Amino acid sequence: MSLPGKRARRVLLFSIACCLVSALGGAAETTSQIVQVKIGAILASNKGDEFDARLAPLEKQLKLMKYRSYRLLKEESQKVQRKGNATFDIPGGRSLVVTPQESGTKQLALRVHLQQGGKPLTDTTVRLDSGGNFLLGGYPHEGGALVISISATAQ
Amino acid sequence: MTNRCEDMRDRMGAWLDGELSRSRFEEIRVHLESCSACREERRQLEKLQASLKELLVAVPSNVSFERFWPGVEQRIERQRSWYENLLGWARDLSAPPQLAWAVPAVIVLLLLGVFSLESFFPGSRLAGQRNNFANVESIDAFGRNVAVLRENETKTTIIWLYQNQEGEDESTGEKSEAGPSF
Repeated sequence: MSLPGKRARRVLLFSIACCLVSALGGAAETTSQIVQVKIGAILASNKGDEFDARLAPLEKQLKLMKYRSYRLLKEESQKVQRKGNATFDIPGGRSLVVTPQESGTKQLALRVHLQQGGKPLTDTTVRLDSGGNFLLGGYPHEGGALVISISATAQ
Repeated sequence: MTNRCEDMRDRMGAWLDGELSRSRFEEIRVHLESCSACREERRQLEKLQASLKELLVAVPSNVSFERFWPGVEQRIERQRSWYENLLGWARDLSAPPQLAWAVPAVIVLLLLGVFSLESFFPGSRLAGQRNNFANVESIDAFGRNVAVLRENETKTTIIWLYQNQEGEDESTGEKSEAGPSF
């Protein structure tokens, strides 16, 4: 092979090695220490036809539950360290504790513990994409059901 | 002419061309010093080789270049259009050494782009469609029933807790839902 051909082959091999290194580096998810946890406590009921305008981003998700009325009772956001507790007071004397178990830039695992007066109601561990949310509901409240939207974003 | 002379003359051509081993070369050289007939043969052979060389020198044909050169000059001096420049640039770029840089460079840039978007804007729309589904790894509802709904269109996960039968919720004294309402 001529000299320019050899050089081209070396350049090509070096470049492929760079590609692999950058791909592996990107694929290796970095660990995020801070997680922003946002909750929304929503009263879903069949009294009236109110749909709280502040719940517009969740409208499609909430309407899966076939209630006629949805009202935002409380919205709160907290930043928490991995393995740290974010505690939220929930209407009805309940308390929600969210603990990020594992947090990468893409996926998070959250331990969610809901209690009322020291009595546990639910304890669950959920894995979701950063920025994603899920709904936890069914607790009776003011003639309807309490639904809690929980979202978490790695910072 | 002796048999030895005949043998020497058979190898005279190879001797003149320097194709013999050193010992064979010396053997012929010593013989030539003592044999006038063979020296004459060598002279004739050298003369023949010189004549052949003269004949084999190529004589340029009498092609007329008068009409050719003005055409070349015209093409050199003519201003190339942007289109021709672009084509030339693309042709140079696709030549193997440049292409070796270009292909991996594009791949690296694409990879960096994707990973950077995800790193700097986690969960952003620019970083691609997020899968909003949540996976429930474990759940303890402390005696209540649990229903998990995963809805494909909105990629929603709902965890719904309810009492087995309609009745008082012990903790609140409120009526509990009999089951999921979705």
